[in-house]
Amino acid sequence: MKVRFLARLALAALLVLGLAVAGDAYAKYPEKPINMIIAFTAGGSSDVQARIMQKYWSKYSDQQWVFVYKPGAGGAIGFGEIANARPDGYTIGGINVPHLVLQPMVQKAMFSIDSYSYICQVVNDPQAVVVRNDSKFKSVKDVFEFAKANPGKLKIGLVGPNSGHHLMFLDVKGKFDFPVTEVFYKGAADQNAALLGGEIDVMFGNLNDVMRSLEEMTVLGLAAEKRNAFLPDVATLREQGFDVVSDIRRAFVAPKGIEKAQLDYLRETFKKICDDPEYVSDMKKAGQPTEYMDGDAFAAYVRTQNEFAKTMLQKAGLLK
Amino acid sequence: MEFIGPAIMHLFEPLNILLMVAGLTGGIIVGALPGLTATMGVALMVPATFAMDATSGLIMLGAIYAGAIYGGSNSACLICTPGTPSSVATTFDGWPLCQAGRADIGLITSLLASVFGGIVGTVFLLFLAAPLARFALQFGGPENFWLCIFGLSTIAVMSSGNMVKGLLSGAMGLLVSTVGIDPNAGVPRFTFGYYPLVQGVEVIPAMIGLFSFSQVLYLIGSYKPFIAEYRPAPGAFGEVVRALAGRCKVNLMRSSIIGTLVGMLPGAGGEIASIISYNEAKRWDKNPERFGTGVIEGVAASESANNAVIGGSLIPMLTLGIPGSAVAAVILGALLAKGIQPGFKVFTATGDLAYTFIMSQFAVNLLMIPIGLLLARIMTKLLSIRLTFVAIGIVVLSVIGSYAIRNSMLDVWIVIIFGFLGYFSGRVGLDTGAMALGIILGPMIEENLGKCVHLSKASGGSVINVFLESPIAVLLIVLTLLSLATPFLLDWKRKRRDCGCDIAQPKEESNHA
Repeated sequence: MKVRFLARLALAALLVLGLAVAGDAYAKYPEKPINMIIAFTAGGSSDVQARIMQKYWSKYSDQQWVFVYKPGAGGAIGFGEIANARPDGYTIGGINVPHLVLQPMVQKAMFSIDSYSYICQVVNDPQAVVVRNDSKFKSVKDVFEFAKANPGKLKIGLVGPNSGHHLMFLDVKGKFDFPVTEVFYKGAADQNAALLGGEIDVMFGNLNDVMRSLEEMTVLGLAAEKRNAFLPDVATLREQGFDVVSDIRRAFVAPKGIEKAQLDYLRETFKKICDDPEYVSDMKKAGQPTEYMDGDAFAAYVRTQNEFAKTMLQKAGLLK
Repeated sequence: MEFIGPAIMHLFEPLNILLMVAGLTGGIIVGALPGLTATMGVALMVPATFAMDATSGLIMLGAIYAGAIYGGSNSACLICTPGTPSSVATTFDGWPLCQAGRADIGLITSLLASVFGGIVGTVFLLFLAAPLARFALQFGGPENFWLCIFGLSTIAVMSSGNMVKGLLSGAMGLLVSTVGIDPNAGVPRFTFGYYPLVQGVEVIPAMIGLFSFSQVLYLIGSYKPFIAEYRPAPGAFGEVVRALAGRCKVNLMRSSIIGTLVGMLPGAGGEIASIISYNEAKRWDKNPERFGTGVIEGVAASESANNAVIGGSLIPMLTLGIPGSAVAAVILGALLAKGIQPGFKVFTATGDLAYTFIMSQFAVNLLMIPIGLLLARIMTKLLSIRLTFVAIGIVVLSVIGSYAIRNSMLDVWIVIIFGFLGYFSGRVGLDTGAMALGIILGPMIEENLGKCVHLSKASGGSVINVFLESPIAVLLIVLTLLSLATPFLLDWKRKRRDCGCDIAQPKEESNHA
């Protein structure tokens, strides 16, 4: 009897010891696959970009990413999932700005910009002023002059409402005289089709989406800080006299509360991926305009965008 | 054109043959399982294509696409559950055929009609891609709006027995589709404070609920031991071939063309194509009342249209980078990840890839016949399993499948709620097909009407101006009015025919006396 009791005690002690030892092993993060939440549908730009990243992630870590798709509400569902996930370092996800900033304001979403620990930014997709190849507009100035001379006759296409394009449009209307008819589309594919079909004359589109139909369209100007490597001959709007900068940023985040050691590991590995020249060339082949910004700088950027969007929407009367 | 020769040679590479067969088989199974859709099947296999070269990857995705769209007809016929949204119209005549013990006819008809439709769609893709793509671009806000209204007007024909009930179901469907985010203002609507409802009611779980779950409830309530009797007649294949080649020729051709055209339009997909072509088949038939009782023409119209959509949707995808359907969008993503640029140059700069892909679609459609027949034979074994087990299986698959769409428990609740809704609607005579149509078309109608309203600012302030400015929209308005008048036309046709019989009768009587 006593022997059995002692044996059980020894076994228990062994188990407790084992747990203590196992507890140490967590320092070897990550030790199981990480969930990557994508807030859009499979096969879309966000998915493609994340898959390219995963290829290079495997060079630095032997744990895979498990892709979890949570599309809906323009990304809000997925962003909410990331925000409400357990901050144990095994769930991260991709987010987009200004969606992240606009949705809590307009939709009463289940997250806010403070719900996340930011890993890094990976893509900076500037807005572009785009027309068809056979359009009579040869420069952005032509577009504005036509709009002023014929109020309401110029039809412009935007994805939205409450999107990056819409924000750019409000910014432009606030700074310049731009009396146009704006039409909203559900997504970039519909917007492209409308421009090519002649339903609209001009569109504010994203560089990435325009790259798909580039041979049919002419980009008149980019709403970026500096010229883009994909289209080195296209001047920025600032160069053409219009001080408008507007873009969509893609970044990766983890839910707030993640351990500092894990966040640092993620930040370091993502930086290594973004510096890899093969990754850069793959992204170029896929038409995705890369731009790296580290986590803290990006978090500050998100805050400024939040203020900017709030002002814009209030001025336009879209925010109650 | 010089690409075609080498393209055909590529098809005989062992890897490509393997991919075509495996893709077809996997696609048919995915399509047949209610809850798993073509979009999901293709999206799941996209990562696998990263490991192979672009051509082989594209061939595999195309095979899955074709297989899945055909596969949906299997469950549509056998358990009155469209396996993919494109097969809704197949249930109208496929299920009665199965209940009459002739499931084999239903399955074989849908197979051969799908093959025919797929080939017609691919022919258009091969020869007319460029001009058709340009034509597809002419469809904007007003045109799409009236196309959807035309689609809705088919409800009037579908339920010509009782138009009021049909319109009522359609209206209920439209009401359900308003839940979610307003497409024109971007704010949540009818969510009752329950945040997950901001995504709206997804079409697929609603359809799984309306059709399969309610069907399970009905079958259990009927105390039948099996889903249906199955009396396979030996000459079924030949019978179907004779019927299709004989009296269904025009029907098949017309439905395939409708399918290709609708497939080309970004935004309109298989569901709309198959319902419109079913409607047209019924309208032009000599005895339209037969439709809905289990006629080959109905199944053939629906299935050839939804497979023709495949070729159609690939036209703008390859030439303009604008996908014509959700699956085409996923395939586009895979292409872009490989660095292939869509555009008219795709037929010259990457001509090898493009033509091999198109040729593989022909091959896939031909391969579908033996593979489809084999799988159909296996599926009919379903009819010999006791109803209890089949019902349990359907419920399990419905729940898993609806959850798998976007990993949301909301979709599972939608299946259950719509299941009961569909069951009780069926008891009262409300048409679930009309409701499904309302749910599918509602968002598109609203979004496009919103675009028309926005555009009216440039057209002098009236939406009517916007409609009348477009010749295509005017044509569709006329078609819609015709469609709404059809029940009265059919009634008049039938009365005239019955009158004719009455006149003939006395003569016969006198002969026999």
